[in-house]
Amino acid sequence: MLQSEPRTRKEITAYRVKETFRKIVFGYLFYSLVIGLGFAILYPLIKLIPFVFNNLEDLGNPDVIWVPIELSVDSFRAAFRLVFGNGVPMLQSVAYAAIIALIQIFMCAIAGYSLGRINFWGRNLVMFLVIVTFVVPPQSLLISQYLSFKRFDILGLVSAINGSTIDLINQPYTLYAIALLGFGVKQSMFVFIFRQFFKGLPKELEEAAYIDGCGFYRTFFKIGLPNALPAIMTVGILAFVWNYGDTYYTGYFHPDGPYLSIKLATTFAPANVNNILYAVRTWYDAPGATTFAFDAVKQAAALIFLLPLLIIYFFAQKRIVENLEQSGIVG
Amino acid sequence: MQGAAEKVRKTRIPYRTMKKIHGLVFVLPWLIGFVLFFLTPLANTIKYSFHKVGVADAGGMVLDFVGLQNYKDLFNVEVSSQSQTFLRVFSDENMNIFINTPVIVIFSLFCAILINVKFKGQGLARVVFFLPIVLGLKVVVDLIMVTTGGDVADASVSSNFDNEFLIDFLREYTFLPRDVTFFISDLAANIFMLLSQTGVQTLIFLAGLQSINPSLYEVAKIEGANSYEIFWKITLPLVGNISLFALIYTFVDMFLKSSISTEIYYFAFNKNNIGVGSALSVVYLVNVLIDLLLLLFIMNRVVKLSHAAK
Repeated sequence: MLQSEPRTRKEITAYRVKETFRKIVFGYLFYSLVIGLGFAILYPLIKLIPFVFNNLEDLGNPDVIWVPIELSVDSFRAAFRLVFGNGVPMLQSVAYAAIIALIQIFMCAIAGYSLGRINFWGRNLVMFLVIVTFVVPPQSLLISQYLSFKRFDILGLVSAINGSTIDLINQPYTLYAIALLGFGVKQSMFVFIFRQFFKGLPKELEEAAYIDGCGFYRTFFKIGLPNALPAIMTVGILAFVWNYGDTYYTGYFHPDGPYLSIKLATTFAPANVNNILYAVRTWYDAPGATTFAFDAVKQAAALIFLLPLLIIYFFAQKRIVENLEQSGIVG
Repeated sequence: MQGAAEKVRKTRIPYRTMKKIHGLVFVLPWLIGFVLFFLTPLANTIKYSFHKVGVADAGGMVLDFVGLQNYKDLFNVEVSSQSQTFLRVFSDENMNIFINTPVIVIFSLFCAILINVKFKGQGLARVVFFLPIVLGLKVVVDLIMVTTGGDVADASVSSNFDNEFLIDFLREYTFLPRDVTFFISDLAANIFMLLSQTGVQTLIFLAGLQSINPSLYEVAKIEGANSYEIFWKITLPLVGNISLFALIYTFVDMFLKSSISTEIYYFAFNKNNIGVGSALSVVYLVNVLIDLLLLLFIMNRVVKLSHAAK
């Protein structure tokens, strides 16, 4: 016993050394992987930073790569003057995305609740249809969707009442109607997420509510919805991000609307390069500005466009991640 | 109290049936939307694809039945906006999607495992790893892309990563065949593109990883399993379900971003050829569905094989 003690101590020290060594090596590998991948994700953004803060005339100068000779915020000022103005378009866009996201959350929540909780007639068929709509790319329906919106009619009812069909293209309410009936941006996926979530909630909660005298709708609003907060957060963030940046639905069904994404896409279309360059040259007294200046203004606009998303991301991040384990995406 | 009971008896609809009716009421908006915005357009698309669509004098549409002519034209006569035949476009896109989908899914699983580990700066890392959801928006991609000065444009998006070194290294020091070497180096060169597709899948996988009961890992560790064994025996089987969802999501997303979807728009609105555009839509749709069935079939086989191996 006495003899073996020094040996044991030696082994413990050896073990500790081995563990520390392992920790250092693995830590190094782990951090280099995370930082490397993070860098690769951020790289497109990092590359923009020196570009957008550069003096407009120095752009395209082969001597200037990472460090601008003269810092300037002209590209941001130009972007504001061209697209963002006094900030009203951005507020409009944010409001639009928020309202649509709210509608989508509510509509998907009720559909998901019903699909996950109530064994009504034909439930499996409806679930199958949800998956089909998720899988079918909206582009493949684009043409006839556009045409049927152009002369909208439900079984001849509308033309019987109104005298003629309604043109739903370019009406402000069209997009809200689409979201209200469950076919907005990636809405089938949201229905699926909610369905999975409600399926996992314990039944006892609802039974207790029923015994206490809650009707069906009251049970949903008092028990179902408040308990679905994790799923609501997840769907809400995704819905907001996708609607804010959407050019597909807004572009085809309401192209004249006050949407920032559409405005950016049309303002910085390749056909507009010379107009914008002319404007920038005269506004900021930079006759030497090349097409690189166009890119700089465009990218500055992209950074401003991303700002609300980043702010929301930053605040919601913790919530999403913490709550994800109950959010029901999981089988 | 007695009055209430009387009322219930009067209505004569059992609670269960009532609940089913309420359930139907909740799905009803979606079903209406399904008929209006999905079923009708789908039926119309198929109808248009067999017709020559013209504009009538009164402003209405004139449909002229031409049978399979649109489909024949699509593959024999028409070319895409990049002046390629559509057979070529479809085969290229399918190849591309079949190669990239598994890579993206595996990559996002890897990312999810990385950010699932508890470490300092985890919150920040998660923000960064979910950033592709935002950066992948079409507007943002278009805006960030450099449009001028050829070399700069190339450098900014993909081929900035210098893979000469990697190719040399793999050739000299490993005994991989040449094709594998080029495949790996291509992936490395495309890493920005791959990473830009991963956001949502990483989120989905992280959800899956967090739902795994931690006591399973504890047990495995006590039993003496190493990390490698833990990954193959616990993590992978338990995220199996989600990987199917992630796979389908990636697949559909890749198709949405493929050049075929822009071609449909090009036919309908630039060339004013709705018949051929609809035919293209139908072929596209059938293509997606066939590929998905193939994918499910392969997944099924893989799952069966892995069960048999046990």
